[in-house]
Amino acid sequence: MTVTLDRPASDAPPRADILLDVQDLRTYFHVMDGTVKAVDGVSFSVRRGETLGVVGESGCGKSVTALTIMRLLDIPPAEIASGRILLEGKDILRLPEEQMRHLRGNEIAMIFQEPMSSLNPVFTVGNQISEAVELHLKVKHKEAVERSIEALRLVGIAYPERRIKQYPHELSGGQRQRVMIAMALSCEPKLLIADEPTTALDVTIQAQILELIRSIQQKTGTALMLITHDLGVVAEMVNDVVVMYAGRVVEHGTVDEVLLQPKHPYTEGLLASIPSKGMRGQRLNVIKGAVPNPFNMPKGCNFSPRCPYQFEPCLDLDPHVDEGGGPAAACWLWKQAPGYSIPARLHEAQVRAALRAAEASQVEVSPVLAVEAAEE
Amino acid sequence: MGRYILRRSVQAIPVIFLIAIVSFMLMQAAPGGPAAAFNQNPKISQAQIDGWLQRWCLERNPDVVGMLREFGGWLGVYNCSGGGLASSSGMPNFLPAFLGGGSNGVLHGDFGFSIFTGQPVLGMILERLPATLVLTGTALIIWITLAIILGVIAAVKRYSLFDQAVTLFSYIFYSLPTFWLGLILIYLFAVDLHWLPAQGIINTRSPFSFNTPAYWTDFWKNPGPALVVIGQHLILPVMTLVAVSVAGDSRFVRSSMLDTLSQDYVRTAKAKGLSQRTVIFRHAFRNALLPILTNIALEIAFLFSGAIVTETIFDWPGMGRLYFDGVTNRDYFLLMGILLIGSILVVIANLAADVIYAWADPRIRY
Ligand SMILES: Nc1ncnc2c1ncn2[C@@H]1O[C@H](COP(=O)(O)OP(=O)(O)OP(=O)(O)O)[C@@H](O)[C@H]1O
Ligand code: SF4
Ligand SMILES: [Mg+2]
Repeated sequence: MTVTLDRPASDAPPRADILLDVQDLRTYFHVMDGTVKAVDGVSFSVRRGETLGVVGESGCGKSVTALTIMRLLDIPPAEIASGRILLEGKDILRLPEEQMRHLRGNEIAMIFQEPMSSLNPVFTVGNQISEAVELHLKVKHKEAVERSIEALRLVGIAYPERRIKQYPHELSGGQRQRVMIAMALSCEPKLLIADEPTTALDVTIQAQILELIRSIQQKTGTALMLITHDLGVVAEMVNDVVVMYAGRVVEHGTVDEVLLQPKHPYTEGLLASIPSKGMRGQRLNVIKGAVPNPFNMPKGCNFSPRCPYQFEPCLDLDPHVDEGGGPAAACWLWKQAPGYSIPARLHEAQVRAALRAAEASQVEVSPVLAVEAAEE
Repeated sequence: MGRYILRRSVQAIPVIFLIAIVSFMLMQAAPGGPAAAFNQNPKISQAQIDGWLQRWCLERNPDVVGMLREFGGWLGVYNCSGGGLASSSGMPNFLPAFLGGGSNGVLHGDFGFSIFTGQPVLGMILERLPATLVLTGTALIIWITLAIILGVIAAVKRYSLFDQAVTLFSYIFYSLPTFWLGLILIYLFAVDLHWLPAQGIINTRSPFSFNTPAYWTDFWKNPGPALVVIGQHLILPVMTLVAVSVAGDSRFVRSSMLDTLSQDYVRTAKAKGLSQRTVIFRHAFRNALLPILTNIALEIAFLFSGAIVTETIFDWPGMGRLYFDGVTNRDYFLLMGILLIGSILVVIANLAADVIYAWADPRIRY
């Protein structure tokens, strides 16, 4: 394998490709102790029918980004301080709630991190799926029920006619997540946001669920925004990657660019922290140091306290990801800080470490996995 | 479900029995006994006293065995006239009369007599029950409705001005003593403004007492105005009860509702694109209702036992008043009757709460 690190970022894709375009999004929480800038100037886009992976440590703002796109945050305490979220060119942040509701579950659907608690315990599974179908597709109850059965069959639930009459507590975690997926896909959304859909599941079931999402995505052509901790999942499932750190995008690119040619020291750290081939579901907390205190962000580069390559400009100048050309990494090692030159030894050290990290990240691609059979 | 109810009912029997023993012992421990009460009551003749003493095996100064006999007689296990556990027909006394059992004691539907008035206890209770049911039933319906409305709105509009106002008033009313609030209301609306009657359930000038046969004859001649009179008398005591109880219950509804509103499945419901109303009522409130229903079911016992303080202040001829008078007069058959029926109702209310919960929550199966 040969890796070239200094390849320029790929050209921006033509606009018609882009389903979702998030531009300079800032979501703040006003809490007792001050303001938490949970998402602070995030930009990325999701192409039609393709998969974008969003990775980063716990607390870096992945879920808040997703919930902002869905407009599911309570305002206040949340505030969308700036930014645009263009769905097919239309800014959904400006939509009246009434129209936004029409998009939710219909054009953009979301599956959550916690399958155990995401279904309402007092309604049957069928009831909860057909509710959305009836609402968005304007069909009669009977047809909605039939569609629910179809949706359950599609996600590999055995005996769907019987399952729709069951309550969530009668299903296993994996089955519940399948139900969530069925529910999310029942109205054939253009975009599916999956927020760590497998984190709460057993390792064996994780792979099945991911395989399911992938196969359905291929069948339906739904675009996927996949939030995950797991770079192995990223390697297998996504086309493009966004790496987030402390509410910011620190690096973005295609999956090959990011995994094989990591530029940002944080991405490099993430890759190096993959424990070993095939290990799944590990929280990525291995980079030394901790995520900065949201009330006291470091000046300059906010990764600087943990960065092994930190040099002079990092402490006062903030390296943004450039829009347009230039390296897609928010790091002075790859960008020219005004008035500073990059010390050659640092650059070299980083290139070498990045190569090692990339090597470590060569995650095994799992074979096509069996469906529910193993789970039941 | 039927078997569950049956099992729970059977389990309740020892509990009720225990409550009866404890309340009996407490009565015995209190100074003064029935005999002392008789001696102070000029309305009761010596012949009556002797009759009762004999029927209920009461003694002037009972020893432990005497007390056991007394309790057995009250319960209906002991045959006081025959002196023994067998009835006059030789069968065990506790059996129902048609099986050859005795006729005395609560097991045979005889709750004894009031030591103070000489009337049968059950009759006195039944006489007072309608007034209490009218008062507590009205109050319960109003306060639960209000508590749910206020609690749900406060939770949905958390930290809004409305929520803060509800919180403030809840704390104020919650900490007000009932008797004080009742007196203030009487002072304000009855004494000062003359808008509403201060006390009682019917006009003081009425020739008949409430719930006597003559009263009902008169009532049915012209029910409309008679109901209006009762309604007027209801307003102040109901206000008192509602103010105090809404305060607590609306907090309960609010916190229950806040709890469900922050659940993941509510977020799922929103993510489906459901309207706010559907999310709040179908998904959140339906779940918040589970603890609320339990709470309401437990309050059913209150329907019967009445509100002692409120009834006393408003001179309401109900169970609470009766109990209060019973305590004052050391009317121990009366008190034990009320306690026993009250505890049976508490047990039933608990059972009802569990059954309702199971009905409303699909996760619970027997
Ligand atoms: N409702 C809220 N009020 C205040 N702060 C919040 C709220 N929701 C999230 N945050 C803060 O925003 C930051 C980002 O949280 P977020 O849930 O997006 O992290 P995440 O990347 O999804 O992490 P994880 O991998 O653990 O799911 C955190 O610091 C969190 O404390
Ligand atoms: S800008 Fe400096 S501190 Fe920040 S990641 Fe790059 S080298 Fe490290
Ligand atoms: Mg998250």
